[in-house]
Amino acid sequence: MRSWIASAPCSAALVVALALTASETLGAQPGNRVTEQQLLRGRQAVLEHACNGCHGGADPSFDGWLAGMKTPEQEFLVGPCLFTPGAQPCFRTRPRNLTPDNATGLGRFTERQIFNALRFGLRPGETPDVEITSSEPGKGNFPANPKYLAPPMPWPAWRYMSDQQIWDIAAYLKYAVKPVANRVADSDGPPDFWASEYTAAKIGRYPAPSFPTANEKRP
Amino acid sequence: MTDDLGLMTLDRRLVMPVPDGDPLGVTQPSVYCGPAGGIAFCHMLTRALGVLPLVGALGWWLSDAPGGLPERTVELTLTAAPARLTLKPGTVSDVFAYNGQVPGPTLELREGDRVVVHFRNQLPEPSTIHWHGLHIPATADGAPFHPVAPGAQHDYVFTIPRGSAGTYWYHPHPHHRTGHQVAKGLYGVIIVRADDDPLPRSLTEQLIVLSDNRFLGDGSIDLTDPLTPPGRIDAENGREGDVLFVNGAVMPTLSIRAGEVQRWRIVNASAARMYRLSLRGHGLVHVGNDGGLFERPVDVNEILLTVGERVEVLVRGTGSPGDRTVLEALPYDRYIPQTRPTDWQSPRELLALQYSNEPRMNAPAIPATLRPIPPIDTTAVTARRLMVLTQHLINGKAMDMDRVDVRGPLGATEIWEIENLVGMDHPFHLHGFQFQVLDRNGVPEPFRSWKDVVNVRRHETARFIVRYDDFPGRWMFHCHILDHEDHGMMGVLEITR
Repeated sequence: MRSWIASAPCSAALVVALALTASETLGAQPGNRVTEQQLLRGRQAVLEHACNGCHGGADPSFDGWLAGMKTPEQEFLVGPCLFTPGAQPCFRTRPRNLTPDNATGLGRFTERQIFNALRFGLRPGETPDVEITSSEPGKGNFPANPKYLAPPMPWPAWRYMSDQQIWDIAAYLKYAVKPVANRVADSDGPPDFWASEYTAAKIGRYPAPSFPTANEKRP
Repeated sequence: MTDDLGLMTLDRRLVMPVPDGDPLGVTQPSVYCGPAGGIAFCHMLTRALGVLPLVGALGWWLSDAPGGLPERTVELTLTAAPARLTLKPGTVSDVFAYNGQVPGPTLELREGDRVVVHFRNQLPEPSTIHWHGLHIPATADGAPFHPVAPGAQHDYVFTIPRGSAGTYWYHPHPHHRTGHQVAKGLYGVIIVRADDDPLPRSLTEQLIVLSDNRFLGDGSIDLTDPLTPPGRIDAENGREGDVLFVNGAVMPTLSIRAGEVQRWRIVNASAARMYRLSLRGHGLVHVGNDGGLFERPVDVNEILLTVGERVEVLVRGTGSPGDRTVLEALPYDRYIPQTRPTDWQSPRELLALQYSNEPRMNAPAIPATLRPIPPIDTTAVTARRLMVLTQHLINGKAMDMDRVDVRGPLGATEIWEIENLVGMDHPFHLHGFQFQVLDRNGVPEPFRSWKDVVNVRRHETARFIVRYDDFPGRWMFHCHILDHEDHGMMGVLEITR
């Protein structure tokens, strides 16, 4: 273990590139076979990450499983109005429909667009269906003007999932959940689509810095 | 012969060779009126265009075609070049202009005309001229595949098809730079007339070209960098300007007489602004769309004119002598919440319509039927195309000049289903072909018309039917919000032999 970490000071971009290349053979992208095993892994990851906590359904057997917000109580308030009623800015954000319904859910998005949403926080409808090999805007297909999913979607933490786990989730959402027609109103947000909130200084880097950083130590 | 407006008119038998050199000098725009109407026609147009400096087609050759009016060749030069002009009153701006004017000259054509346009690109960057809506060969379409280099010249040669009488427009279409060049001033209108136009020729005609722009304090045109906060908003919404122009003027006044019926051709040449048009205190008689007249007139209270679209309407002078009214753009929410302008709910005045003091005249009769528009045969459909629109993308892809997105054989009839997944309207334009919108969200269109832009509203699915009856080659389709097009919301249709 120690020797692997010691031998891993290769560039971050290279790590990403290698990881994505490897994932092509594992993932359930179009043309690849989706196995029940993979769908069950995706389901497990969805349960562990509590996607339904915001996106709906107490467990997969409940109505509205991952079908998005159904009542206004499921909205989030983002901004100082959370603490001081009336303070501005005040954004209402809304958990979207994650079922594969074409018109109102993820049906029209590819697994790679879903992958890019979970790995990079990029809105799937507004980010091309391309392989991204960098986290730096304008490089490696990372959009020059990235548009991010609205808070509190915790992608800044979940992007550290393995490629395999993210492809599994994408496959589960696309192929193992029944489509539910439920149009969720657009979330509010700042005109920069949260880009100024999701800088490396605020949310850290992907991939994470090599172990050990100044705050860490080997046992 | 020169009439009292200083505009030259030509006798129909006059054969006018095109001189060497720039036949339309930027300092001396001239109007040449064609055989269709002679002097009266010239008067009409001059009045119609109001403040718009007007240049018609330069010259033509007549030949005695058997039966009907003669075929003619219309030859003209359009020079795109930098200029310094006043667009916003009180300021001078560095612009790009066709033949020294903004908007560019209005091209008066007739069905059957053979058109030769000598395009001279004196801009510091590549450009093209796209003949928006005209059904002409792909190589003459001015698509980004055929850029004309700075300093170069290119001849666009095409024939105006029979049955295509209507209002069209022209503008540059270079890859990634259309919005920039149009914002700098490059756009103009094409009017195609029919010999058998069903509307009374006595109707006064008004051409109303809508555009908007934004200026910095020094008069320069406010063009943003997409990587800056204002540029992000322009990229998202499409660039809107706070100064609204009609024929290049701010809030001009048109005149009408009580009882009179006028024919208005309205063109939306804006990069992104959509106009929910209403003439205060008046209804409108909607008689035509992008590709010309309807089958019959339709009474409406307002018309949504989205980007790149044209309409023809009849305005009834139902007011009294001396009255004044206003054509305005009512609020229309096409935006997503993140970038919706704070003032979107403010109506905007576009032009004033002043009634003369003359006594009421008798309104001419408006025909109950205009022309047949045969439905495209749905049983002949050989393919259905799905186009999923999201912000800046079609089917999840950005434009690639080396990729063909759709291939169809010459002669095929196809249905295109345009599905807008996002919360912003996207006006979808197909080059080279007029289509018929079938339905929106499954609701059939109330009446048939020829269209080359269909505005697909937020979360709407629109279907149209199109027949590739001619002109193999590569054609663009795209969102006509110019910033979206420039950012890649465009694809390529190849029609194969």
